Amino acid sequence: MRFSSVYYLFPLVAALATAPGVAQTANPDTKPETVQSLQAEITRLRQQMEEQRRAFEERFGLMEKKLQELSATAPLAMAASNHPAAVAGPAPATYLPVLSSRLGAAGQSMNPDVSATIDLNYHADDAKEGLSHVLGELPGFGHAHAGGEEHHHGVANGFNMSHLELQFSAEIDPYFKGSAIAAISEDGAEMETAEIETTGLPGGLKLRGGKFFSDFGYLNAQPSHAWDFVDRPLVYQLLLGDHGLNDKGLQLSWLAPTPFYLLAGIEAFQGDNEVAFAYHGEDPLPQRDGPRLWVGWLKAGPNLPGNHGLQFGVFGATGNHQEEHDGNADTFADHWLDGDSSFWGGDVVYKYNSPKPYGQGDFTLQGEYFARHRDLELVAVDAGGPPPALIGNRRMDDQDGYYVQAVYGILPRWRAGLRWEQVGLTNASELPDGASESYGTSYRVGPMVDWSLSEFSRLRLQLNYGDYETAEGQESVTELYLQWVVSLGAHGAHQF
Amino acid sequence: MKHTILQILLVALTATGLTATAGTLKIVTTTSDLAAIAKAVAGDQAEVHSICSGKEDPHMLQAKPSYILQARDADLWIRLGLELEVGWEPPILDGSRNARIREGTRGHLDAAESALILDIPTVKVTRAMGDVHPQGNPHYWLDPLNGRRIAGAIAERLAEIAPDGAATFRANAAAFQRALDERMFGAALLKTVPADRLWDMTEDGSIAAFLADSANRDNAAGWLAAMQPLRDQKIVTYHRSWIYFAHRFGLGIAGEIEPKPGVPPTAAHLRELAETARQQKVQIILQEPFYSRKAAARLAGEVNARVVVVANSVGGQPEATDFLTLFDLIVKCLTDR
Repeated sequence: MRFSSVYYLFPLVAALATAPGVAQTANPDTKPETVQSLQAEITRLRQQMEEQRRAFEERFGLMEKKLQELSATAPLAMAASNHPAAVAGPAPATYLPVLSSRLGAAGQSMNPDVSATIDLNYHADDAKEGLSHVLGELPGFGHAHAGGEEHHHGVANGFNMSHLELQFSAEIDPYFKGSAIAAISEDGAEMETAEIETTGLPGGLKLRGGKFFSDFGYLNAQPSHAWDFVDRPLVYQLLLGDHGLNDKGLQLSWLAPTPFYLLAGIEAFQGDNEVAFAYHGEDPLPQRDGPRLWVGWLKAGPNLPGNHGLQFGVFGATGNHQEEHDGNADTFADHWLDGDSSFWGGDVVYKYNSPKPYGQGDFTLQGEYFARHRDLELVAVDAGGPPPALIGNRRMDDQDGYYVQAVYGILPRWRAGLRWEQVGLTNASELPDGASESYGTSYRVGPMVDWSLSEFSRLRLQLNYGDYETAEGQESVTELYLQWVVSLGAHGAHQF
Repeated sequence: MKHTILQILLVALTATGLTATAGTLKIVTTTSDLAAIAKAVAGDQAEVHSICSGKEDPHMLQAKPSYILQARDADLWIRLGLELEVGWEPPILDGSRNARIREGTRGHLDAAESALILDIPTVKVTRAMGDVHPQGNPHYWLDPLNGRRIAGAIAERLAEIAPDGAATFRANAAAFQRALDERMFGAALLKTVPADRLWDMTEDGSIAAFLADSANRDNAAGWLAAMQPLRDQKIVTYHRSWIYFAHRFGLGIAGEIEPKPGVPPTAAHLRELAETARQQKVQIILQEPFYSRKAAARLAGEVNARVVVVANSVGGQPEATDFLTLFDLIVKCLTDR
């Protein structure tokens, strides 16, 4: 519109030039009729000016519209008709997309990609006191809790909402990119992840920092809405708790220049996992500075032809672990343990990506094995706890577990899967009083079927049948899950 | 201990540096069609790999470790763009840790920037409309003119990455474009009218009037002449993937078997489509081999049309070995009776 203001002047100049009488209005002996005729003349000129202005505006409006149309719909068609045979024009100075059709997207291009995941499920089980109670009672896997602060994330019978996951990601500058997930529940918001990673380090290196999911194993770093089953495998639940291994720290990883895929990573974490690497740091437990947890992993994948993908991984983690125990259940901690905790294991994933559309014929087979070893020292006792003579004695725990699952695209958009899990194949504890205990093995098996109406929504039915070796003996629990999970906003991409 | 780790790292760094500089250029494309054009342009100066083989739907691909390996060593990454690869390109590029091919660098070429794009939405799109691409329909490689334009863009980008080969790349691209022109119009017609003018006429539709002249008609050969009997016919396609081809050869699209892009057909939609197809006298139902043929067969029975199943990408069928033979195959399948 800035053109039009210039053109307002045209009629004005024209009016002045064609109306010399206007200049004579200052003449003292001007007769009334002359004044009248001059006034009439001015009015006429004003009308003329207004008309011309309108005409100009109309024509400019049309021209602008035409220009917009041309640049929006056929900028390249114009280029094509001029020089379709040329070997392309001169190289552009920048490599940013210059299609005018993308101007809409360009306006938003500095904004982070935002998406949200909504995850509703219905759960029912036939356990007397709920499944989380059963899992808390598995001998050898017993939870470590800090006094009475423990909060159970265990699913309720009936409706459950997983956290609303609000995800942001963007390139920060030419050197870093960042992403964050805010996990919002009915009780408030939590920082699930907030991380920075480098994008331009040479030699296949990448540095990551912030609060993030460790990349050990396969399932840990995957967002829960991308899992093939509603719930996490038992071995994850029992050895790492409700959140997996997600902590503050740094990660350095390296993609090796080998002829096959080889990725190695080392992570230093503060060490705040509620189950495996707990830290209280309050008297009588010793204070320990972070980082208290070190994780290392290696992933390798052969170059399989066609649509087959395979990846193996091995991992290990070691760190500090502290426990407060309430031996006589009077809600006061009465003995304290401090020492080292470590786990190691391996994972394997095979995927077949079928050429059929909508996921029909796709097949995934994955499995992970973990073993953990804990070596804790009884550092203090209080009234109601074990005898003070045992202070300085050690408690050792060795537990393990694995899961194997397969998922197959039975129909377009429909998948069926089966998961088999076992925990406690090794399940032994040596107690501070010198007693050696050996506990039994628990297993669980679960079929699932899901229906993805699109890439952004999924309905799932899952059953679990478990046989658990609890302190009170064998207990069987059947669970049913119905899940309805959708994602809104930016189109996410999934890792292998 | 610290020393050994440092030494190992240094050795590894040097090794990566060496592998990056030694040998010929490495080009990785997301689809086989882009790979075919890149091969024609780069000649023996580059190794070209494609992530998709041409047999699968590039919308549906999943990232896997060996793709990351290909990207790790690439000097140039070429994608179709328009968000077609949005589900798997970022993990591959991120995973590759290859700063040379990150988006926005000269090692990352978006072929859509050099192409003529159709179906650019003019209203706000939502996912309720199905898999609509907000920047335009991504199947633009099915317009032979776009192949021609992409070849030019690849040559220019390669010339920047490897200036020593610039003359070769440009000559190769020009040779590819000449070969494409000849397959499209026939050598005789190109002697009488320049290629630019002919492509222009296919763009604005005036080619029909031009071919009405018997002298021109007799000179015309290639895909243009072969497709001439089908001009102005209406066809039904499975996915909205053939609009570029239809636009170039003057075919009309009566509708798609998918009610919305990426949404499987429903009975109600097929009934409606059959009605439309009957009204518009549809004789051809065109689809890619990876879609189920049930719906097309049913529709064909109802409206007395024939089903043409043909690959839409190089490598999708054995005959489609490169960009030119892909169009040979499509034209042959459409015109064979």
